[in-house]
Order: sequence, then structure tokens, then C-alpha cells
Amino acid sequence: MSTVVDDLATKVGAERCTVQETADKIPTIWVPREEIQSVLRFLKDEASTPYELLFDVSAIDERTRQHRVDQPDSDFTVFYHLISLSGNNDIRIKVPLSEADNRVKSVSSIYPVANWYEREAFDMFGIDFEDHPNLRRILTPPLWEGHPLRKEHPARATEMDPFTMTPEFQKAQQDALKFVPEEWGMNTDAKHTDFMFLNLGPNHPSVHGVFRIALQLDGEVIVQAVPDIGYHHRAQEKMSERQTWHTYIPYTDRVDYLGGVINNFPYVMNVENMAGMKVPERAQVIRVMLVELFRIASHLLFYGTFAQDVGQMSPVFYMFADRERLFSIIEAITGGRMHPSWFRIGGVCQDLPDGWDAMVLDFCNYLPKRLDHYEKMAMQNGILQRRTKGIGAYNTAEGLEWGITGPSLRATGSDWDLRKKRPYSMYDQFDFEIPMATNGDTYDRCRVRVDEIRESLKIIRQCAENMPSGPYKADHRLATPPAKERTMQDIETLIHHFLNVSWGPVIPPGESSTIVEARTGWNSYYSISDGGTMSYRTRIRSPSFPALQQIPVISNGFMVSDLIAIVASIDFVMADVDR
Amino acid sequence: MEFPPNIWSYVLILPIAVGMLVTALILVWWERRLLGWWQDRKGPNRVWPWAGGFGQAIADAVKLLAKDDWVPPFGDRLFFVLAPAIVAGSMLMAYVVVPWAPRESGLIITDSNIAVLWFLAMSSLAVYGVLLAGFASNNKYALLGGLRAAAQMVTYEVFMALSLMGVVILAGSFSLLDIVEDQAELWNIGPQFVGFVIFLLAGLAETHRLPFDLPEAEHELTGGFHTEYSGMKFGLIMAAEYLGLIITSAMIVLLFFGGWLLPPALQSLVPTGLASALVGLGVFAAKIIVFINFFILLRAAIPRPRYDQLMSLGWKILLPLSLVNVLGTGAWMLWTG
Amino acid sequence: MESLFYIAAVTALASTVLVVTGKNASHALIYLIVSLLSVAVIFFLLGAPFAAALEIVVYAGAIVVLFLFVVMMLNLGKGSVARESAWLRPRMWILPCLLTIPLFLGLVYALSGESVQTAASMVGPKTVGTRLFGPYLLAVELAGILLLAALVGSYHLGRRYLSERREEV
Repeated sequence: MSTVVDDLATKVGAERCTVQETADKIPTIWVPREEIQSVLRFLKDEASTPYELLFDVSAIDERTRQHRVDQPDSDFTVFYHLISLSGNNDIRIKVPLSEADNRVKSVSSIYPVANWYEREAFDMFGIDFEDHPNLRRILTPPLWEGHPLRKEHPARATEMDPFTMTPEFQKAQQDALKFVPEEWGMNTDAKHTDFMFLNLGPNHPSVHGVFRIALQLDGEVIVQAVPDIGYHHRAQEKMSERQTWHTYIPYTDRVDYLGGVINNFPYVMNVENMAGMKVPERAQVIRVMLVELFRIASHLLFYGTFAQDVGQMSPVFYMFADRERLFSIIEAITGGRMHPSWFRIGGVCQDLPDGWDAMVLDFCNYLPKRLDHYEKMAMQNGILQRRTKGIGAYNTAEGLEWGITGPSLRATGSDWDLRKKRPYSMYDQFDFEIPMATNGDTYDRCRVRVDEIRESLKIIRQCAENMPSGPYKADHRLATPPAKERTMQDIETLIHHFLNVSWGPVIPPGESSTIVEARTGWNSYYSISDGGTMSYRTRIRSPSFPALQQIPVISNGFMVSDLIAIVASIDFVMADVDR
Repeated sequence: MEFPPNIWSYVLILPIAVGMLVTALILVWWERRLLGWWQDRKGPNRVWPWAGGFGQAIADAVKLLAKDDWVPPFGDRLFFVLAPAIVAGSMLMAYVVVPWAPRESGLIITDSNIAVLWFLAMSSLAVYGVLLAGFASNNKYALLGGLRAAAQMVTYEVFMALSLMGVVILAGSFSLLDIVEDQAELWNIGPQFVGFVIFLLAGLAETHRLPFDLPEAEHELTGGFHTEYSGMKFGLIMAAEYLGLIITSAMIVLLFFGGWLLPPALQSLVPTGLASALVGLGVFAAKIIVFINFFILLRAAIPRPRYDQLMSLGWKILLPLSLVNVLGTGAWMLWTG
Repeated sequence: MESLFYIAAVTALASTVLVVTGKNASHALIYLIVSLLSVAVIFFLLGAPFAAALEIVVYAGAIVVLFLFVVMMLNLGKGSVARESAWLRPRMWILPCLLTIPLFLGLVYALSGESVQTAASMVGPKTVGTRLFGPYLLAVELAGILLLAALVGSYHLGRRYLSERREEV
């Protein structure tokens, strides 16, 4: 790994780049902005282990940050997180920019997935990506003023004047939303055909949330599809900058509202990593079990809606009934259903209730029979197969170009499951397979997820049968909420408890990112602590965001009905895309 | 056929029209209950629990009637209002030739030697309602739905007509009374099984119900041709769908399952006179209900093919098949004299 | 009976006039359907129920649907109404009217000559069939060949159009 750093240093010139220490041990190299294109091209094509996946691109507003040891001067830092699947390693490239001149070359010509990420960084920070094909706002409305993730941008309504909706304001906003095909890069004339422009969404039964796709149709054949997102943007990243490390946990639940505690997972692991905390085994296994339960819940919902989107009416009802059983287990354990916010920094909220294992094992015995039934009903149905096979296919390399991870990538024949390749939270102790498929089409994306349900059941059964004993939360001063048992015994503990509850834990300064295999791909939290009770910057990299960017590539030339199947197979929720 | 028909025909019109509309209303509720039963849930069971929740159907009808009668200002007003009337009207007109019980009972508005063609003519007129609804709404989803409907229905019209020609050849008549009476020995489902399958598929496509509901395909076109419809206009379109369902089931029973006839072995047990009319009506209704339930089961079970798949199924499989069927039946008739 | 005939005849005439003078293509097509339906009624009254049914199934039910289909596909806007009115200037009517006059005179002559049979004997489907495949067999065969040629021609044209379009896209 260090060889890559050395290679880079020789390429760029050792004096021009700086190496930064981070808590996650990912080599982090600062390079001057002129070099970013050549550096990424080098990493993609010439590095000893090529970095196929540009995992994340975003920026940091460094202007009010206190702890910046080993880091060059910078007002705005653009970072690029790259992953090499062949070498199983990461690298993070940072580019310092000044406030007055925050231009940097776009890398979307090298990694196409960078297109939207750069638009997001432009939208949120006002970073000017030169030579970007389409540098427009992506998450905020077209007439938004300011760049939300800059530190000077207000974070709550009380920091601003009361909002009033004037007729002029309304009209201007509505006019800005008007659909002009040319602005969306659509070619409106051809010799023989009048094209039809169809606005699919933001409210449409099959776009799974508020998602808009502008379609250019020739009859019913899609000539061009342009996805438009941002209707579900809630500034989750901005909110992290005014919530304590502990009180941000419930917000993470709502990033991907089908994922439940899967969202807590990377966040708490990341904070634990920065705090240097060791999580007890029992807590780790409980976490794994809940995460897998939620994975099943999400995949069941996906399975049902997938069948529904190709016009099969019944499966979704059966699967909702099964999901309901599953939620009753989750409810018994956590007290919540979709958003239990149950993980804590250092462990989980509570120990498991009495009789939990009987419920879990019951479910493990119940579901496989139902899955056999669904297999016959949906997956083996000839019409469903004809509707989905060969539709929206891509191979592994194309998937990686567009930042596709998780089941959608495994449908192309890749075996990259983080639970196996980079086991976290004791996943290496479990016996389970990684389902794969080969064609990478709509059917296979569903196939992989359906098979994953069975694998998750295996993991859950192993959790239930081999649950370790011990504490459910780390005995660490930064674990939240702090232990209360001894607070009434001595004043010192009481003071610390009081402070840790009212302020929340103070995480030591540093940076770390953690990736987990979330329900539909890799979800990562990249947190920066400036030694305070709140995060200085939290970057949420969600798997659905790049997947939507890929829609035009895989749907052009297909029909509207196919687009619906493709959209269904991506398994996104808009909350996860827009954050 | 006599013209003008006797007074009895005029008397029958109102009860049949009202009866069919009420049946359509019951079916809306019945379908939801059945689907609920098949899908592990309850369906509408809260209004009038003592009647299995049937009050829901009436409540829905009242709601539809009481709703604001909105006509989109951006659409074509004339067509928008006309379309539901055409759909429901043509469907109701098709009932004119349906014989509900044996010939002696006179439970038929008019027997005609073009009864089968009349049914086809009316179902081909229903296309206009759908097409105009899609066109008048001035909505792109409605337009796509209307276009799909027109192509699909015109296409399947062809196979529907061809599929029942075999039956017509066997009976030597277009009159439904003759066709049913011709089946006293052997129901047409035996010799005309291919025709039955094609007619079933074409009937599904004509009534555009799932799995062939592409003109309205909720997941693709949000509502298709009736996206902009609400209130009683939507109610009429909905009623027409169920009227179509009933008439299609009735035609299947009449053409292939011996209409009001019991299986040949049991037919001799039927008494004569008024009782025969009652038994006939009951048997006919029971057979229709079986097919309606079958259509509802299809809706619960099968996904929707894509538009081009539906069309190629029609032109590439059903068309040759129905031609072969007509040819084969004709040859057989020649052979046996 | 007779009054029904006159109602149907007047409807047919009026709706046909509206088809010709209508400026909105889709409305004109609807009038065309009305006209076809009233002609079907006339056929029916004249004792040709089979012809009446075919009139509805084939003309109203299939052919005009395709016309309407095309009009919808073209999605003619307000411009087309203006264009239609430009085309339908009074001057345009002169030649068609002149051409129609001999036809009209011929019709009047034919009708006034001898008593016209209004309610002929019923012509059932069977009669039509035996006639078609009896004395008119040659005509049926010729029509079949013509239709086959049309089918092949349209397939050829459509395929060329499709391949050209594929290149464009």
C-alpha cells in the first residue's frame, strides 16, 4: 500500500504532496490541484493495483477547523476516496483550495461517476469544477442562494429571517422548474420522428419516492433519460454539524429509511474507531443480527415491489405480511419498528429481552418455506422473466465505472461483499455464502437479493444459537449514554455522567471513514472531529446516489415499461439518495 | 328476426341494464374481497359487516356520485364527457343479444342471426371510449394509455372474431340461441379448445384487465387513459370494465360452455316450463360467476407483459393459431358433412 | 320503420357534411363514425343485417380507429385548425361541387325512374357467404391478392423506415 504512496510521491514530486495520518489508516495524500487529473488517471490505469472504483468525492469547509496537524493550508478541501478491488485497499486524495480561487479540474472524464459527486460538491460548497459537462445544482432547487454546507450558511430556521412566500418568489421558482428539453441535453429533432417528452415523476407510482426522470421518447422507446434528484434533500450532513455525536444517531436511521439500524452501523463504528473504543463481542453479534434482520426486511420489500412494478399484484402483500412478523421481532428487541435508532457509540441501547431467541428461531424456520413459494410465484414466472431478463444489463467493469456496489454489482459476477472481503463486527466468524449472478440484468439484480435473504437467515440463526455472553456496551468513558450504575456512589462519576449526558462525548480530533455492506450497496460515513462534542463534518456516501446516475446509461433504447423494471431493480430510496 | 321486436323485448331492457350495472357494482366489492382473501388480507369488510362488507360498494358509489364533476380545462371537453358514455354505453348494448335462459323462456332482448357479430361490433366501438378518453385528457400518460389501448384492442379484436368462427362453423349460425342449442350433445369447449383459449386471452385484452391492463398500467402510466378522470365519469369507466368482464364471461359460457345447459348427462333431469327457465338462468349465472372469479384470480396471479410482447403474442402466435383453428374446423365439417 | 330510415338518413347526411367541413381533424373523424353508424342502421333496415354488422366492425370499429390513432399520434395542435380553415376556403368548394352534380343528377334519375324497393328480403350471413364464394369468387380472390400486395408493400416501407430511424438514434 505504501508503495502507491511512494509512486504518487515520485510522480507528483515528494515536496508537493503531503501525507496525512487518519484514524482509519487509509493513506491520505494531499496533492496540488493542478495534478488531480493526472493523479487519478495514474491511480486508475497505472497503479500496481488499479483503483477501479471512485468511491466518493466531496469537500470539506476547513475555514473554522482548529486541529489541522500535518495538513497544508486550505479553505476548502476536495477529497477523493478511491478503492482498488483487485488489491483490496483504499486511498484518499485531498486537494487544498483557497476561498478566493476554489477551482479544480473535473475528473468526470476519468471516472464518469464523478459527474454527480462534483455537482453535489458544487451545490453544497460552491467548488468550481472546471471542464465539468454540466455543473448545475443537483440537490437544492435551481434558485437556491448560497451553498448549504459552507460554515456561514445557516443551519436552522431560527438563524434566518422568517420565510415568506411572495407571489413573485413562487412564480420564479416554478418557472425555474419548467422543463426545457434543450437544457437537459436532449436533441429535439430527427429526420423522421417527433419526440415526446415525458416527465416521469417526481410523483409517480413507480419511482419509489420523489424522483423525477425526464424522458425523451420515440413512441414508447426511450431515446434519452435524464434523472433529476433533490426533492427529498434534508441536509442530513449539515444537521450532523449541530448534533452531538450521540444525538445524531436517530438522524442516521432516516437516511435510508428501509435500512433501519444498518444506517447506525457505519456511523457508530466510525465514531468508535476515532474514539479508540473496543466493542464487546455480545454487542457486535447483536448488531450483526439486527442488521441482517433489517436486510431481510428491506429485501422482502424490494422483492414485493419489484414484482409489483412488473405488474404482479400479489407478492407484495405476502411479503408485507412476512415483513410484519419480522418487525414484531424488531419491536420486541428494540421497541421501534422502522427507525429504532438502537445502536449506541460503544454498543447497543439495551440487552436483548427474555425469549428473543425463540422468536428469532421461529422466524428462521418460517421464512424459507415462504421463500420457496415466492420463488415459484415470482422468480420462476415466465412473464416476469421475459420482462426482466436482458433488460438494463451491465458488466462488472461498467458497474464500477458508475460506482455501483453491493448486490447490484454482485449480479454482474463480482464477489465483492464487504462482509467477506473486509469483515467487520465479527462477520468473519459466521458461515455464509455470497450469492452472485452473471448477467447483471434486472432479473439478476433481483435474483441476488432474493438469495441474500436466505444467507441472512443463516447468519441470524447462527447469532441466535451462539450469542456470546457479556456486556452489551463497551466500558469506555466515551460510550453513550454513559454507565449509570456507579453514579450514585461517588461524586466524580456523577460529574462525568452529567457532562457526558448533557454535552455528549468529546471525540478526539481526527478523521475516519467506515464502510459497511448496507442493504443495497456500500454505505460509508466519513466523520471529522475537531475535538468537540459535535462532528465538524460528516460525509454520508450512500449506495443509491451513483446508481441513479447510471439509469440513462442502462435504460436508453428500452421501453418505458423496461425503465420501470430497471428502476425497481436498483432498490433505492430517495431519502438515501438525497440525504 | 322480426322487426320491430315484440313488446317483451322493450320490457326486458330496463331490468337487464339496471341489473348489469348493479352487478358491476357488486363485482367491484366482490373482486376486492376475493383479492383480499387470496392475498392474506381482509379486503373491504367494515361497512355492513353483517353483509361481508358489501356496504363498501354502495359507499363507493355514493362517493363517486357526490364527487366534484371535474373536467380538465386543458382537455377537449366534448370528448372528455363523451368517452365514458361510449365505453359504458357500448358495453351495455352488447347485452342486447345475450340469451339468459332457454329459447322458450324468452329471456333475451332480441335474438338475431348476427348476434355474435353484434357483440364484436359493440366491443369494437368500446375502443373509441378508451381512445377518446386518452386523447381528450390532454395528458401524456393518458395519451400513451389511449394509444396502447387502441392498438391492443384493435389487434385482439381480430383474434377474438377469428377464434369464435370455429364455433359459428359448428353451429352454422351467428345466433347465440342456435349456438347454445347446438351444444346440447357436446359443449364446444371440447372441439373448440383452441378457440376457447384464444377467446379467453382476447377477452382479457379487450376488457384490459390485468395481466393485459397495459392501457392503464398503474406502474408505468399512473392510470393510463383514465388518469384525469374522477367522480362519476371515472365510475362509468370502472363500471364499463366490469360490464366488459361480465359480458366476456357470458360469451365464454355461451360459446364454449353450453350457456344455460347442464352437462349433457344431467340435462334430461331439467323440468320443463317455468322451472326450466329458472334452472337455466341459475346455471348460466353460476357458470358466469365461475369465469368472473377465474378472471379475478388471473389478476391476482400473473404479472403484466410488456406492450410489444403482448402484440407479438397476438400477431405471431394467436393469429396463426386461430387461422389454423378455423381451417381445421372447416375441414372437419366438410369431412363429416 | 320508415321514420327510422329518415332519421338515419338525415343523420348520415348531416354528419357527413360535418366531416367534410370540420376543421378539427379528430372531431371530423367522430362525425365520420356517426355517419358510418347511421349507414349501418340503413343497411339494417334494408334487410342486410350482416352488412350492417360488418360496417360497424370493420369501418367504424377498425379503420376509423386507426385514423384516429394516427391523428392522436401526430398530436395536431391549434396550428392545424388554422391550416384546415386556410385550406377550406370557399374557392376550394367549386370543383368538388361541379364534379358531384352529374352524380347527383344520375341519382335523381335512378330514383325517379321506377319504384325503388326499400325493404328487400332479408339477406342473412349465409346468403352473403354463398354469394361471395359463388358468383363473386373471382372478385374475392382479386381483392385478396390486392390486400396481400398492400400488406407486403407496407411491411417493406415500414421496415425501411425503421432501419433508417435506428441509424439516426
